[in-house]
Amino acid sequence: MEKKKTMVKDIDRTIYDIKDKVHPSYEVKEGLTPEIVEEISKTKNDPKWMHDFRLKSLEIYNNLKVPDWGPSLDGLNMNDIVTYIRPDTPMRGNWAQVPDDIKNTFERLGIPEAERKSLAGVGAQYDSEVVYHNVREEVRRQGVVYTDMESAIRDPQYGSMVRDHFMKLVPPTDHKFAALHGAVWSGGSFVYVPPHVKVEIPLQSYFRLNAPGAGQFEHTLIILGEGADLHFIEGCSAPKYNVANLHAGCVELYVAKNAHLRYSTIENWSKNMYNLNTKRALVEEGGNMEWVSGSFGSHVSYLYPMSILNGENSRMEFTGITFAGKGQNLDTGAKVVHAAPHTYSDISTKSISKDGGTCTYRSSVVILPQAYGCKSSVNCESLMLDDRSRSDTIPVMDIQNDDVDVGHEAKIGRISDDAIFYLMSRGMSEEDARAMIVTGFAEPIAKELPVEYAVEMNNLIKLEMEGAIG
Amino acid sequence: MDVALRNVNMLPVRTWNRLGINDTGLQEKFSDPAPYRGKALAGSLPEGVSLTKKPFPVPDAETGMGKDTADFVESHSNCGVSLCAAAGTKAEKPVVLNYEISEKNPTVIDCNEITAEEGSEITVVMGYRSEGDVPGFHGGLTKLYAGKGAVIHLMQIQLLGDGCTHFDNVGAFAEEGGKIDIVQAELGGKHAFSGVKTRLGGTKSQLNMNAIYLGDHQRSIDINYIAQHTGRKTSSNINVSGALLDESQKTFRGTIDFVRGAKQAVGHENEYNLLFSPKVRNRTAPLILCQEEDVDGQHAASTGRIDAARLFYLMSRGLSEAEAKKLIIEAQFHPVIDRIPDMELKKEVSDFVKGRLSQLESMG
Repeated sequence: MEKKKTMVKDIDRTIYDIKDKVHPSYEVKEGLTPEIVEEISKTKNDPKWMHDFRLKSLEIYNNLKVPDWGPSLDGLNMNDIVTYIRPDTPMRGNWAQVPDDIKNTFERLGIPEAERKSLAGVGAQYDSEVVYHNVREEVRRQGVVYTDMESAIRDPQYGSMVRDHFMKLVPPTDHKFAALHGAVWSGGSFVYVPPHVKVEIPLQSYFRLNAPGAGQFEHTLIILGEGADLHFIEGCSAPKYNVANLHAGCVELYVAKNAHLRYSTIENWSKNMYNLNTKRALVEEGGNMEWVSGSFGSHVSYLYPMSILNGENSRMEFTGITFAGKGQNLDTGAKVVHAAPHTYSDISTKSISKDGGTCTYRSSVVILPQAYGCKSSVNCESLMLDDRSRSDTIPVMDIQNDDVDVGHEAKIGRISDDAIFYLMSRGMSEEDARAMIVTGFAEPIAKELPVEYAVEMNNLIKLEMEGAIG
Repeated sequence: MDVALRNVNMLPVRTWNRLGINDTGLQEKFSDPAPYRGKALAGSLPEGVSLTKKPFPVPDAETGMGKDTADFVESHSNCGVSLCAAAGTKAEKPVVLNYEISEKNPTVIDCNEITAEEGSEITVVMGYRSEGDVPGFHGGLTKLYAGKGAVIHLMQIQLLGDGCTHFDNVGAFAEEGGKIDIVQAELGGKHAFSGVKTRLGGTKSQLNMNAIYLGDHQRSIDINYIAQHTGRKTSSNINVSGALLDESQKTFRGTIDFVRGAKQAVGHENEYNLLFSPKVRNRTAPLILCQEEDVDGQHAASTGRIDAARLFYLMSRGLSEAEAKKLIIEAQFHPVIDRIPDMELKKEVSDFVKGRLSQLESMG
């Protein structure tokens, strides 16, 4: 007898898929040439060092190869991508001044409402430029800086700090798309939290890519002073077009001695997006880096937030969930380098593949010779909901001294009949038992997400129960 | 002659190149292979087993170390046997093959095929030894075919000295209800490479793979095990445990590959590494590839020093730290050594390990 399948609905993308009419004030031609990079630099009124940096990055880009591992990037043709599109508005500090169509887009996504309710500050980027940035007065008074990258570069007080840190953690030589980012980056946020300042409520940046065939290359730079504490939330979405869009952002996080940073990302790009994002954190003595990552969108994703545990007793935790449906190939995971003694890392991920989607969990844990007394634990679980999908687990551990405690566990499979039987013997219907188990599978990750995203995630795994999973 | 083999022990799916784990190369200079002087087969063949040269039933069988390495052995081999267990026979005693590297045999390249016909059972023990630390080169290719309901036990015991480079490339295929049971002990050599790929093609076919390794001095060990499930209700169990001392290095790639259609397949893999020196390097890539929903795949790997509580307990019973460590390593290897069917060989392996570990006295 053929088993019936439980249907798991796709994400309802209605609100993300509403397209605004594209009326940029300015955009460059498709493709990538020194002229286009010069044009972007001139338009953005870059200081000389940034102008030179962009051209150098372009040179590196042209000399690097596309990765020979990971999902295929054949559908991505850089000659078709518009790297810079400026929306028809300057950046505003007052929501009312943002043009109506852009404002409506963000309001549909719930961004201003979230700001009023639960955020210390919000930045909103539309295509290549930040259209809105605001931070609560009491947070500003603590000395916290939260602004767009362009303003930060030219800021008399913080300009040199930006220059000292910009693409130092992720150099353009890192990989081809880091070089691309260095050449055409635009927008993004700069955050500075002074020593011993604790920002009690989160800051959030939201990135929206509206124009078809465009790229978004925002740069996020967060610098935490000694003992500082911050929760930063990043959200991304775009409407679906029939042409490839590209997101090659870069996130650089500096976590000073005893500082704590939690960086939450909900990525919900449309399914024509190539999401080739690079995120890296440098964690100093006693510092604590927490990543929470939900990957639901994109056609192809390469996303592996990396932590360099540079100071003694520093630690990182990575909690991630990936959901790949039809037409999606999501290659996600985490990287950690233990570069100092007594450092600690914990990676915990879940993935669900359905309807022909491919999830790949990819990670690396490297423990350097000088990093003695380290502990690392990796745990990944995958759930396959049909046999048209694919789920691969590719972890690597490279341990270069003996004073370590490294554990790795991976599991893949379907829902156990024993668990169903147990719950049914306690009076639950089979459908409810299965629903409870699938929700329970994602629960440890869902509870780490910001509230509004946890709701979204619950909608995501809304199940239509009919028969068995498997 | 010079050999430069590329794409050796390739990961079935590539990852970041900078980790240096996607594959390895094998470069070596060694004496031209001359006809092997001596007799590899010890004693007589058990009843039901014959030396035959039939075409191998799976001509396109893939191997763990890859095609380049297999082609090299096929075109340069100077020894090896083709064994066949006749249908329905169960060989009472093992077939023992000994390959020895010596001044008169500095290069040993053995090409072996083992076919177990329907319902048969065969045990083959292959030993690789050398005269002290004489320089030498060993390269081996062994293909296994377990017919319907047949069982093949293969034990490959490598006890070479520090002058030798060694590789062992295995490709196996199991039909319905067939069982492949492999024990590998990589205990010696200067550089040791080993790869085993098993395709569980028939329904309810099984793989049991147990391996131990020991790294000391500057030995490098590079291993690639792949269990590919294509048949329904197939099962694989891979257990690897080892110890790294001094400046030794080990790379282990272990893959469970559930191909679409391998319904109700189960694949488990465990790796346990003990580290004894701040200069060792241990690299591990345990992969699960899955295109089938109705499967159960699990991996566990654990790497670190000896558990302090265990060490303390043994020392509180009067053992020195070095003695306690040796005892723990020997205990770790024992479940695998115990599978060796020949008492003499069992003792030889045990003594070899003890000899290698004698240097632990100085680590105490």
